[in-house]
Amino acid sequence: MFRDVTFGQYYPADSFVHKMDARIKLVLSLLFMVGIFFVVSYVGFAVITLYLLVVIALARVPLKSVLKSVKGIIFLLLLTAIINVFFTKGAGEPLLSWWKIEIYTEGLIFASKMLLRLTYLVIGSSILTLTTTPVDLTHAVESLLKPLRVIKFPVHEFALIMSLTLSFIPSLMEETDRIIRAQKARGADFDTGGLVKRAKAFVPILIPLLVGGFRRADELANAMNSRCYEGATKRTRMRKMRLGWRDAVASVIVVVLFAAIFTVYGMQSAWGGIIWLYY
Amino acid sequence: MEIINIDNASYYYKAYNDDGTVGRAVGVENVTLSIEEGSFVALVGHNGCGKSTLAKLLNGLLVPASGKVTVCGMDTSDKNNIFEIRKNVGMVFQNPDNQMVASIVEEDVAFGPENLGVPQPQIVQRVNDALAQVGMSEYAKRSPHRLSGGQKQRIAIAGALAIQPKVLVLDESTAMLDPMGRREVLQVAHQLNRGGMTVILITHFMEEVLDCDSVAVMDGGTVVATGTPMQIFDNGTLLNRVGLRAPRTVELAHLLKNAGWNVTPDCVDARTLGGEVCLNLDQIK
Repeated sequence: MFRDVTFGQYYPADSFVHKMDARIKLVLSLLFMVGIFFVVSYVGFAVITLYLLVVIALARVPLKSVLKSVKGIIFLLLLTAIINVFFTKGAGEPLLSWWKIEIYTEGLIFASKMLLRLTYLVIGSSILTLTTTPVDLTHAVESLLKPLRVIKFPVHEFALIMSLTLSFIPSLMEETDRIIRAQKARGADFDTGGLVKRAKAFVPILIPLLVGGFRRADELANAMNSRCYEGATKRTRMRKMRLGWRDAVASVIVVVLFAAIFTVYGMQSAWGGIIWLYY
Repeated sequence: MEIINIDNASYYYKAYNDDGTVGRAVGVENVTLSIEEGSFVALVGHNGCGKSTLAKLLNGLLVPASGKVTVCGMDTSDKNNIFEIRKNVGMVFQNPDNQMVASIVEEDVAFGPENLGVPQPQIVQRVNDALAQVGMSEYAKRSPHRLSGGQKQRIAIAGALAIQPKVLVLDESTAMLDPMGRREVLQVAHQLNRGGMTVILITHFMEEVLDCDSVAVMDGGTVVATGTPMQIFDNGTLLNRVGLRAPRTVELAHLLKNAGWNVTPDCVDARTLGGEVCLNLDQIK
């Protein structure tokens, strides 16, 4: 049931992107995510498509696992697209008019661009999580958030919670699957009835899952304590984060690419992009 | 030399009575036990007999309500000792999935030494050594949730070994495994023991007890008997009372011996027993 979600799933490989420093990958991914909202023309999207294809090739991640992440939110994507098609008003005559619904050419163009933007956003972030282990990602977050320690923000604890959450996703999903099958075997019905009835049918899944979650947390706490965990004090790291030539090359290329995008499309379109996102 | 001493220790859990008042349930009560350095000790008993509570007393996860637990000469009730004690007592639990802190094998193994503040090059060394000791070196970069139960438990053992403890406690670590996985984990445990590690094996599988130096049988929160595996297996009334059973081969060998057959009563290996039975056939005719 939940096998299709790849978010947070690391794909082990020995590639250019895998070997990059997680901090650089995180920052460049954020740059990409912001940059994508500046792009407004199809030429721009073609450039971004090419860029993503090159990155995927360099990461040696199968295209299938990248696209899987898109599959997970396809409903959301389509909904956004449909809403955009129906609610964007164009300047000229409507392309199609029926009852109160009017579809304009602008709406179609706008929706297609929004669809592309969101899809690329998901692909970009899934490349990050596919090529970076959750532990590396948390180290990166911890390292980048270090300045916040000044205002007493618990950076280490925050990063640890993040990493534990990510590493427990697969086993929690397995457990959900198991509980659903167990309840079905006892005659539970999740597929018929109205919305309320179906929602109620999920209670017998959520309760064992919640109880199991507490038990799991307790056992994990014991295991961590047994291995001398005592918070951030004097903690060292096995994985040293070192910036290499790969990080330098990638940073230069990506920064130049997005600097060009920012210059070409300018600030105005970015604001437009952000406003569109809210619609 | 004695490495762990449990002196008249008791621990109680909070329990709610039917009328809503808070009472207590016995975890362990008046347990006295001494564990020799370098020995392989089994702790057996039925579900709810207090085995796991006793295990948690061994590294200060729980502190006895009365009595005393001493590890390498340090009292577990002294908060200042707690990390030194946990450095000496490695612990592996029952559910392999619930003790993994990282999603890559080597990073999980590194968790302990990272907590201890070991310098980076030495962490790498320790992780490699620990993985080699459990025979999992080739899985260093893999994701643990794709491995078999036995492999995951070996990773968990490696995680404990990376702290370089003197004692390894396996708290029902084989309970959730298939026979193959159980064999893998036991092999590793015995091999570590031969290298000088003190091993405390908590289990309810009596076959696992066979190769241990000594066995402590628990029931109702107390240790009701200690002895060599054979002494325990011979005590049928005791085993019956606590709801345990000697391994089938031992039971069979005993019955045959009593019936006048010439077999070793302590025979545990089905193949050896079969051989001995065959040698007896001529006599019977």
